[in-house]
Amino acid sequence: MIAQRGKVKVITGNSAAAYGAMLCRPDVATSYPITPMSEVAEQLSSFRANGLMETEMVEVEGENSAMNVVAGASIAGGRTFTATSSWGLSFMYDAVQHAAGFRAPIVMVIANRESPGILAVSGGQQDIISVRDTGWIQIIVEECQEILDTVIMAYRLAEDHNILLPVMVNYDGFYLSYMTTAVEIPEQADVDNFLAPLKKQPARQMLEPGVALGCGTHGIELGFVELRYRQCAAMERAATKLDEIDCDFGEYFGRSYGGQIDEYRTDDADIIIVASGGAVGTARVVIDAKREEGIKVGLIKLRLFRPFPRRRLAAALKGKKAIGVIDRSVDFGWNCGPMYMELRALTPEIGIVPMLSYIDGLANLDITVPHIARVVDEVHAAAKGKSYQEVTWIPLEE
Amino acid sequence: MVEKKKKPKVYDYFQEKEDPYAGGVAWCAGCMLELTARFIPKVLGKDIVLVGCPGCSAPVLYGQNLGAWHRMSYFSALMTGVASSATGISRYYRKTGREATVVCFTGDGCSADIGFQPLSGAAERNEHIIYITYDNEGYMNTGYQRSSTTPLGASTSTTPAGTVGHGKPTPAKNVPLLIAMQGAAYVATATLSHLDDFAKKLAKAKEKSREGFVYIHIFAPCVMGWRIETDMSIQICRMAVRTNYFPLWEAEDGRFRLTNEVTSPRPIGEFINMVRKFSHLKEPDIAEFQQMVDRRYAVIKKLCALE
Amino acid sequence: MVTKHKFIFPSEGAWSDGRERLLCLDTGSWRVARPVLDKEKCNYCSLCALYCPPQCLKDMGDYYTPDLDYCKGCGICVRECPRGALKMVSEGEFADDSAAR
Repeated sequence: MIAQRGKVKVITGNSAAAYGAMLCRPDVATSYPITPMSEVAEQLSSFRANGLMETEMVEVEGENSAMNVVAGASIAGGRTFTATSSWGLSFMYDAVQHAAGFRAPIVMVIANRESPGILAVSGGQQDIISVRDTGWIQIIVEECQEILDTVIMAYRLAEDHNILLPVMVNYDGFYLSYMTTAVEIPEQADVDNFLAPLKKQPARQMLEPGVALGCGTHGIELGFVELRYRQCAAMERAATKLDEIDCDFGEYFGRSYGGQIDEYRTDDADIIIVASGGAVGTARVVIDAKREEGIKVGLIKLRLFRPFPRRRLAAALKGKKAIGVIDRSVDFGWNCGPMYMELRALTPEIGIVPMLSYIDGLANLDITVPHIARVVDEVHAAAKGKSYQEVTWIPLEE
Repeated sequence: MVEKKKKPKVYDYFQEKEDPYAGGVAWCAGCMLELTARFIPKVLGKDIVLVGCPGCSAPVLYGQNLGAWHRMSYFSALMTGVASSATGISRYYRKTGREATVVCFTGDGCSADIGFQPLSGAAERNEHIIYITYDNEGYMNTGYQRSSTTPLGASTSTTPAGTVGHGKPTPAKNVPLLIAMQGAAYVATATLSHLDDFAKKLAKAKEKSREGFVYIHIFAPCVMGWRIETDMSIQICRMAVRTNYFPLWEAEDGRFRLTNEVTSPRPIGEFINMVRKFSHLKEPDIAEFQQMVDRRYAVIKKLCALE
Repeated sequence: MVTKHKFIFPSEGAWSDGRERLLCLDTGSWRVARPVLDKEKCNYCSLCALYCPPQCLKDMGDYYTPDLDYCKGCGICVRECPRGALKMVSEGEFADDSAAR
């Protein structure tokens, strides 16, 4: 069975997120404004006000409540949705961890913005990094269509009874949030069909008035350890589950994104560039140009960040001669890019090869074609044995 | 043989015969939170969905691994998220057409301090929730630290009376009045010495929660934190009412009414002398305290006089 | 990943379950004195039962008696009884009872 062609609308990334959510028919959704995602809240409110969706919209008084409201609704049995960015994510941090501990299958979109610490109203991925240890699944998308599609896939992933973990769908704030492009909006019936398998599963535990079940018990000793273990085991299962769902989505809607990672011209590549988010689009242009020059370079788009797609990355990177990682954030622990640091952990599987960390794209400074071309050149030189700088802050080297 | 009395009126309000709590739970001897916790399902029924948070209620309301101390549906929120989680639960039940009574049950540390923002937000949105605070005037479970409902002059572990410090330097927040000023559907104060009054208010709360936000503030002395004898808790509740330190009032859709008017209040010294957390207060402090009590009561009285 | 652990929780998530049995503490072992009723004085006003925090005063039809499994010995019932029908008696007086469990 194949889905019908949807209607194409020219909309922003924020709007695409809202459409994705609406099509999944959440029971309860919350909204609190923060640049650059306020439009998600506005769009959902507009859908509600015009009878296009029956979701209970709760205009909360702060992001902490935004997460707690959906957590409560989720544990009571509902499908839920919320959205935020940078500081809003920081403000809901306790509730974010709590929701993951409770295994509440919430879906949240985050329009990534610089945080924490230095005030900025501009794009960056530090907010993703700031919550990487909360127990949420984190996916990073490249374009507006992918936002909408990934929100739908996120519900299939979160609510899978073998997963039951909340999912963050991340997209570049300011770039994707405000970028207006043609997006195909799937038909409601097709989205209902795609999510229908969830109804056939065994029902998850939920609050029931009059039933002596309590959510959020004290974990004592081995009980606590078991709960933690279950969280980790479910996270691990989520990696391959995402690949399966992406395949299903591709077969049904005609669009797929590679699941955990997308590999572009990597098979015969000598060197690999790893990037995430909107910068991937720019990187593809550079890869093609460099290939014309004779450099056998490939690109890996890191889509799934948590759980870290270690197996697929190890397989894709094995045998490569050098790797360049472009990070749109920093790792305070190691003074380098965080995704670079996590890729370094694959050294036992892929061998010791030159790995170069590039920090770029902070504070809405563009990751440009020349920047990525420079990355390819330096990684190519490193593969040939030339000495290289391990960490380069591209904006500070221009 | 003495003539046997009939059961008091308060029993008419009881929906449940069976106590949903286990017989032996880890609340102190003489704990007014225990009395409150066991009283609530008697009137509201045991099919309520309780939302609580860390505090003195947690060791009993939370489970321990798979085990539970009570038979009610329960969600353990964070202190920052009680009214908000309850909002989510309540909204989901409303959307799915399910009749349910969602009850937040927290201490004053949550309602007045760390959980005040979501409480105020839920009240403003008129969520269909009953929020019940047991006010023991401090963070008792963590060692009797002061909260913003700790009264002026009280000696607590973080405002101890010493050679330089004289107890808490500022008066308490009047949380029920703040929520009433937000226009909640029903707000009331209650305490454990006046159980008819408490039962009536709980019954009213259930009814009003079908229309909007309900807030009930319970004066619940803490044996350990206030340094009182285990058998004096009810006496202290009664004296709090008799001195107008804790007047019993309700505000239904913004209309205030004293539910137990004390026409000749006892001097506040009689209350203060019963509670050792005030034992360092001198005459001038007690006089200041009396002024504060009188002023606060006057405000409530004026509100009650409004049409 | 292989583990030796026998799983405590039947499902994913941190849920406690009070449907079949409840946890219970032996709070009766806390007390150092217990309330004793003079039935002659009791008029069944029920105030002791209403004010008892652990709600352990059992209704015997025309008087109340404490459930010694759970009575913590706080003394509120004694203090509140309007007819002075209750008094606290030291546990030591009942050394022949099996207070030790």
